[in-house]
Amino acid sequence: MTAHTIVLAASSFALFMMCVAFFLTAWRVIKGPTLPDRIVALDMLVAIAIGFLAVVAIKTGFNLYVDIAISLGLVGFLATVALARFVLSQGMPEDDRDPLASPAARGARLPEQRRKRSPAKRKGR
Amino acid sequence: MDILLALVVAVLLVVGGLFALLAAIGIVRLPDVYTRMHAASKAGTVGSSLMLVAAGLHSGEFATFARAFAGVVFFILTAPVAAHLVAKAAHQAGYRLSRGAVCDDMRDKAKN
Amino acid sequence: MKLVIPAVVFAMIWAAVTGSLSPLNVILGFLLGLLALWLIRRDFAGNRTAFRPLRLLALAALFVKELALSAWRVAVLVASPRMALRPGIFAFPLTVDRDIEITLLANLITLTPGTLSVDVSDDRRFLYVHALDCSDPVATRRDIADGFERKILEALR
Repeated sequence: MTAHTIVLAASSFALFMMCVAFFLTAWRVIKGPTLPDRIVALDMLVAIAIGFLAVVAIKTGFNLYVDIAISLGLVGFLATVALARFVLSQGMPEDDRDPLASPAARGARLPEQRRKRSPAKRKGR
Repeated sequence: MDILLALVVAVLLVVGGLFALLAAIGIVRLPDVYTRMHAASKAGTVGSSLMLVAAGLHSGEFATFARAFAGVVFFILTAPVAAHLVAKAAHQAGYRLSRGAVCDDMRDKAKN
Repeated sequence: MKLVIPAVVFAMIWAAVTGSLSPLNVILGFLLGLLALWLIRRDFAGNRTAFRPLRLLALAALFVKELALSAWRVAVLVASPRMALRPGIFAFPLTVDRDIEITLLANLITLTPGTLSVDVSDDRRFLYVHALDCSDPVATRRDIADGFERKILEALR
């Protein structure tokens, strides 16, 4: 058990974890019923990519990857802020208005629930 | 000394990977945008921060560690801001809390 | 003149990050820090913030501690087979009133276990907080007011 083997084993384990996390989050991006869900999941994808870069930096020994990870963090933050501003200015997009679209409303397809939703929609514009 | 550093790096990597995985599971399992944000902004940030610190420690250079540390500080400062912005935008656009929600003072106030 | 002291701190950080202590590099860092501070000079003109390094350091330590704790709580919640969720948004009455204090408090609340700040009301008297467990908002409000809000007031006033 040299120091090198320990680090290699740990980084392989971490890479595996990140792979699973990446696919789970990507599933949420594809499936995610509403736009904010996708934004949150994309933000998470950036965080996972940063983790990947850190592990690759350890595995290969190129310290430049740390700088790349930091700049990815900067860009990811700006992207999330821009997407949030987009939601703020555009309101709820047409796709998300379907009462079936959100899991919250899936169990509640009562007529009174639908009527309750409509003022919020108009407010969103 | 060498082996101690390697152990610290390995522990940071494993714990960071676990946090990232749990954050992803949270994003899949939790019921609505607001609760998903809890998972992404806390567990996700901690996961990637730990890994970045591990990379900085492993490099063995002070400059690289300082850069990694600066990156971590930046992530910790920006994660709440990003979560806050997305939550505010989602709530203003009219996205509702999930069915199990017990109270929503913000909507009550908007109605009045 | 007010810019010089932070610029010296920035120069030291620059030297650490670039990994060289040569005089030219430190001077470059100092000039860059001065430029960056000059660009945002309007944001700290006339805003007399008391500067207590030790209290600020304590605040930073609290920040990191709360982040670790809340990540742990979220992880445990997510990993438990039946998630006991009672999410909701409650209003938190603010006693702090300056921009920097509200920002700090909102960030700290986001990093507390189970809470996430959503919005500040237009009159800046309430902070809307989303909680994973909103069954007892009164206790949560008291925790925030006695914990973070007091710490922030101690550090910045």
